[in-house]
Amino acid sequence: MLLNSFNLILSIVIATCLVILQETMSNMFWLITIDMPVTIGIFLNTYFSNLFLMNLGGAIPIIALIAIGFLVAYLVTKILLIWVNLSKSYAYALAGAAAILAIVLLMPLAFYNLDVLAGGRSFLGKSILVFFGLISGYYFGNSLEKERT
Amino acid sequence: MINKIILSIFALLLSIKAISSTVEYSYETLADNLSHPWGLAVIDENNILFTELSGQLRKIENGVLNQKPITGVPEVLFAGQGGLSGIILDPNFKENSKIYIAFSSPDKGKKTNTLEVISASLNESSISDVKTIFKASPSRRTAAHYGARMAFLPDGTLLITSGDGFNYREQAQYLDNHFGKIIRINTDGSIPEDNPFITTEGAKPEIWSYGHRNLQGIILKDGVVYENEHGPMGGDELNIAESGKNYGWPAITYGKDYSGATISPFTEKEGMEQPIKYWVPSIAPSGMAHYTGTLFSEWTDSIFVSALVPGDVRRLKVKGSNVLEEEILFSDLGRIRDVATSPDGSIILATDGPNGKLIRVVTK
Repeated sequence: MLLNSFNLILSIVIATCLVILQETMSNMFWLITIDMPVTIGIFLNTYFSNLFLMNLGGAIPIIALIAIGFLVAYLVTKILLIWVNLSKSYAYALAGAAAILAIVLLMPLAFYNLDVLAGGRSFLGKSILVFFGLISGYYFGNSLEKERT
Repeated sequence: MINKIILSIFALLLSIKAISSTVEYSYETLADNLSHPWGLAVIDENNILFTELSGQLRKIENGVLNQKPITGVPEVLFAGQGGLSGIILDPNFKENSKIYIAFSSPDKGKKTNTLEVISASLNESSISDVKTIFKASPSRRTAAHYGARMAFLPDGTLLITSGDGFNYREQAQYLDNHFGKIIRINTDGSIPEDNPFITTEGAKPEIWSYGHRNLQGIILKDGVVYENEHGPMGGDELNIAESGKNYGWPAITYGKDYSGATISPFTEKEGMEQPIKYWVPSIAPSGMAHYTGTLFSEWTDSIFVSALVPGDVRRLKVKGSNVLEEEILFSDLGRIRDVATSPDGSIILATDGPNGKLIRVVTK
């Protein structure tokens, strides 16, 4: 139980770190295309600053948003797994992906089509974010399977 | 002893601030229960045209609100920040009765919309000869960051602010679109031959300056164009706008994204202009006016910047590119959407929201 809780929190933290990485990469790569002097040092500094500011300095703490999405998706998955015979790793991976997809699709609906997560404005950006949700969910599902064995 | 010295310094500082706010004034409500009043155009001291974001063009006639909106206004997209927005009188309005209105215009049969500017003749209770003189391209899916303010240059050409559409911020750095630009056109919609990018391949010829975010105020003072623009979270700016120049958004900024993310870690770069003033945290600057009246002689030649957050008007004493002083005024009225000056020296304010008011500031 304690281990499950730890892995649940860790999967949310992994997703948060990856979403913030994507946001940082999206902004920095564009700056590079217009010849702004982005160095590895500036990139890392911006990433760590974003880890702090996107959780404590923005309009909505990103980790709280992801936590809500993941908790709902994991709960639905847990119920579905009673009837559906699917590997937990894959099932929770899909849940993680669905949670992030819901966040990037539903948030603009609440804000007049405005993408508050700038990294999720393009199809590629949305795809990367969803992939990161998949990885985080896979980690959680895999940890559950390992615990069982 | 040290504590006493520190307290004395604080007291001295507070007294200096108090001295700067000794002008006595009072408010007169010209109209209330207005639906999101947005843009003001003062004809004379008793006649004021104004827009309501929800799509009505209204008039204060002989000091009293005409209950019937002026007819003939095109359909607008009233959503988010969109709607009937900026309004300006032609420099020869007394002779030709021409006005110009900026608004968010829905694309027929599509989910997109864009910033449109029309010219029209003002009649007794309607507008006629409505002609589209500018339509921003490409259209956007969002209903935010239109800009939609206007000012005339001394040569009679019209400057129009065109915001970055929120989701399209990077486009402000490219010249093949109208996002995040100041546009310069003739009043018939044609393009002045001396526009800075008219011969640049791939550039929209209407562009006058670029690298802007959401410009909400633009005025001329002593032949110099001043504009204010909303930054993201922090980084609202007051700029001197000049032909052909790049104002940096979003490559350089003093603000952060609403998510808290760093949009750019840079605040300056060669070839990109610096604001003459920026606000962190944001004040959400809205309208802007140059006060040339003498009713409040202490304020003559000041720039007024109305602000939505927390809601006040900033009086700025500006000389060239130096902001010499800033005073916070009218902070008891809530969010202020626009500010204008009347020929009699009074100041006209439009408060924001579904129950907005038009207020005249006069001497006590």
